[in-house]
Amino acid sequence: MVACIEGRNVSLTFRPPNRGPVRALQGFDIDVQDGEFLSIVGPSGCGKSTFLNVVLGLIKADSGDVLMRGKPIAGPGTDRAMVFQEFGLLPWRTVLNNIELGLELKGVPAGQRRDVSQRFVQMVGLSGFEGHYPHELSGGMKQRVGLARALATDPDVLLMDEPFAALDAQTRDVMQVELLRIWHEAKKTVLFVTHQIEEAIYLSDRVMVMTKRPGHAKKIFAIDLPRPRDYEMRVTPEFNELKLQIWHALKDEITV
Amino acid sequence: MSESRTIKAALASSDELAAPGKSLWHRIEPAALGIGSIVALLVVWELVPRLITLSAGTKLFFTTPSQVAGTLWRLFATGEIWTPLGVSASGFGLGLLLSIVVGLPLGVLIGRSRTLNDMIDPFITAFNATPRLVFLPLVMLWLGLGLWSKVLIVFIGALFPILINTYEGVRNADKVLINVVRSFGAKEWDIARLVVVPNAMPYIIAGLRLAIGRAVLGVVVAEFFGSESGLGVMMVQAAGRYQVDVVFSGLIIFAVLSLALTAMVQILEQRLSRWRPVHVSE
Amino acid sequence: MQNAGAPRESFLERHRKVLLGLLAVLLFFAAWQAAFLVVPFNPLFISKPNLIAKAFVDLIADGDMLRDLGVSAMPFLYGFVSAAVVGIVVGIVMGWRVRVGYALDPLMTVFYATPLVALAPLVIVFFGVGVSGKAIIIFSLSVFPFIFNAQAGVRAVDRLLINVVRSLGGSEWDLYVKVIVPGVLPYIVAGARIAVGRALIGILVGEFFAASEGIGYAIARFGDLFALDKMFACILAIMVIAIVLTEGIRWAERAAFPWRVGR
Repeated sequence: MVACIEGRNVSLTFRPPNRGPVRALQGFDIDVQDGEFLSIVGPSGCGKSTFLNVVLGLIKADSGDVLMRGKPIAGPGTDRAMVFQEFGLLPWRTVLNNIELGLELKGVPAGQRRDVSQRFVQMVGLSGFEGHYPHELSGGMKQRVGLARALATDPDVLLMDEPFAALDAQTRDVMQVELLRIWHEAKKTVLFVTHQIEEAIYLSDRVMVMTKRPGHAKKIFAIDLPRPRDYEMRVTPEFNELKLQIWHALKDEITV
Repeated sequence: MSESRTIKAALASSDELAAPGKSLWHRIEPAALGIGSIVALLVVWELVPRLITLSAGTKLFFTTPSQVAGTLWRLFATGEIWTPLGVSASGFGLGLLLSIVVGLPLGVLIGRSRTLNDMIDPFITAFNATPRLVFLPLVMLWLGLGLWSKVLIVFIGALFPILINTYEGVRNADKVLINVVRSFGAKEWDIARLVVVPNAMPYIIAGLRLAIGRAVLGVVVAEFFGSESGLGVMMVQAAGRYQVDVVFSGLIIFAVLSLALTAMVQILEQRLSRWRPVHVSE
Repeated sequence: MQNAGAPRESFLERHRKVLLGLLAVLLFFAAWQAAFLVVPFNPLFISKPNLIAKAFVDLIADGDMLRDLGVSAMPFLYGFVSAAVVGIVVGIVMGWRVRVGYALDPLMTVFYATPLVALAPLVIVFFGVGVSGKAIIIFSLSVFPFIFNAQAGVRAVDRLLINVVRSLGGSEWDLYVKVIVPGVLPYIVAGARIAVGRALIGILVGEFFAASEGIGYAIARFGDLFALDKMFACILAIMVIAIVLTEGIRWAERAAFPWRVGR
């Protein structure tokens, strides 16, 4: 069976001007199955976000293969969409117009775009805020817009780059619950990058721990907790056992 | 930059003064003092020749606000102002328009390409430091006394504020937003249209405000030294004939034009910036 | 192997901006020079770099240019220095005394928006084409940046810092030396940078108009004589002076107020 997303021996080095080269990824392997929710946790700067950008098609790996359904990724495409950590909303566009962005660039006619984006406004629970500008929204609402925008183009894969890192703790918990609801509804493959072990376990089918830079897979944990998951699951012994195991895998990689 | 900071500082200190209980006067004090000083200046100016006997030589160069007002009225009532005003306005308008048409795309281009930026930077630094007026004799040599030398002088005066501000605004474009639209398959043109230009808009408008001032200066000077008609020509001729009231009338027309245009740009800015929580002070 | 290639690459990379800029300037002059080989330009209307360079050297060698620059420098200095003194004093008073600020703000704004240069003909007719007429034009153009910036600088002085110095037992003198002057000075120097440009406009206006000597007059006269090489040489001299003055002040700002870098 062909994996949805496949990375084989991926290496990538950044060459920033006026500084030495930074090796972000080396010998990185990954398989993401169709419909799977896979999280990557790793220390800061381990290249996990970099890999997401490679899958998105914004950067190219120096060597190795990155495949989507067996075909090499050559650039951005409508089969993948990203939810960004800093939301990345165009401040001069309303909620509705922000959600339409991807459809607009795809060349979908205006009337049709309106219908689609309206539907996703409802899905992420933003009805009534269609005409608001981003600066009028809370952080959680902004990321709902970011999520709706990514979903609107109907991609197969949703890439999420620490999407809740900029939110406060309570909003974050609420958004995690919301994300699972939407994931069930939209049935997408999700590749999720985060710092938070608990968030990774709660959301995912599998959790990958990465090494420090240059990053590669250290260990993969299967999360066999039943779905649908509720908030109370976070205090069960099984959950805490996983949390401890992942922490042990991760802690040697963290340098302060 | 300093202007907006001044305004903010003024607002802050007026808030401090307007302590609760202190009433009406404290709210209208700034305006009252501001208008008061202008009125006082005009009154003193008006009274000078009535209270002091001016020498004949000085009298020749002296006018009063009431005389200037009368002359302004006459210039408009007889309609003799319209021809020179039209000539000046067309030179001003064409030059400014040209500077926008050239400065905007060029600014975007330089802002988007590091190589181009590095190559053009010395030229921009050099021309921006140099008073563009230095090229006036050359421009007159090339284009003669007509409309087009005026247009060119206005153009090179107004170009740099627009170019530099556009370029600053473009360079300031949010990298994340650029990645967002690229991730949806945007080409360079889409990036400019969707992210770079809207982001640069406040800068561009600030540049436009500066450009208006430069353009007015360009028209005035170009007409002083090389033109057959226009407001500036009218003023030079009047100065030669000691018609000081006509000189001041021209000055006031220029001032009103430049203030009115600046105000229009400000209105445009407010309409275009509904999406912004607070106004960016360039 | 990687190490051997690295330093060379980083040298190019480090000086990329300067090298590219230099390259572009050289290309510009080369293209200008080469254009004459292709197009038969009328030498009465345009000159080429090698002739301009020669004219530049000649004008310096026979002392003409330095004499003209010297003539222009006097009114420039008088006008600029008096604009600085008056502007700084007025600006500081406007910033410090709130009511004075209220009273003069609108007036100054109106003056600033008015193209005062339009009064040049009148000034010249009244004061003549000598030093005083030019100095007055320069003063009226360059006084406003000093006023506005000194005022903004005083208003931007951090009240908290004043309280800090007072609470630490600082005297009124300490307040001035340690808080107010370091706070206001950067604004004034930035104002001076803007004022230099406007003062240069003033000298040109004054001398184009009706002068018999000075660098502005030289440019106009060489134009009338179709001596394009000399005209360009004088334009070049003005450009060099303008760049040296503006960039010099910018450099001084960076050197003297490193904490303001990035503004």
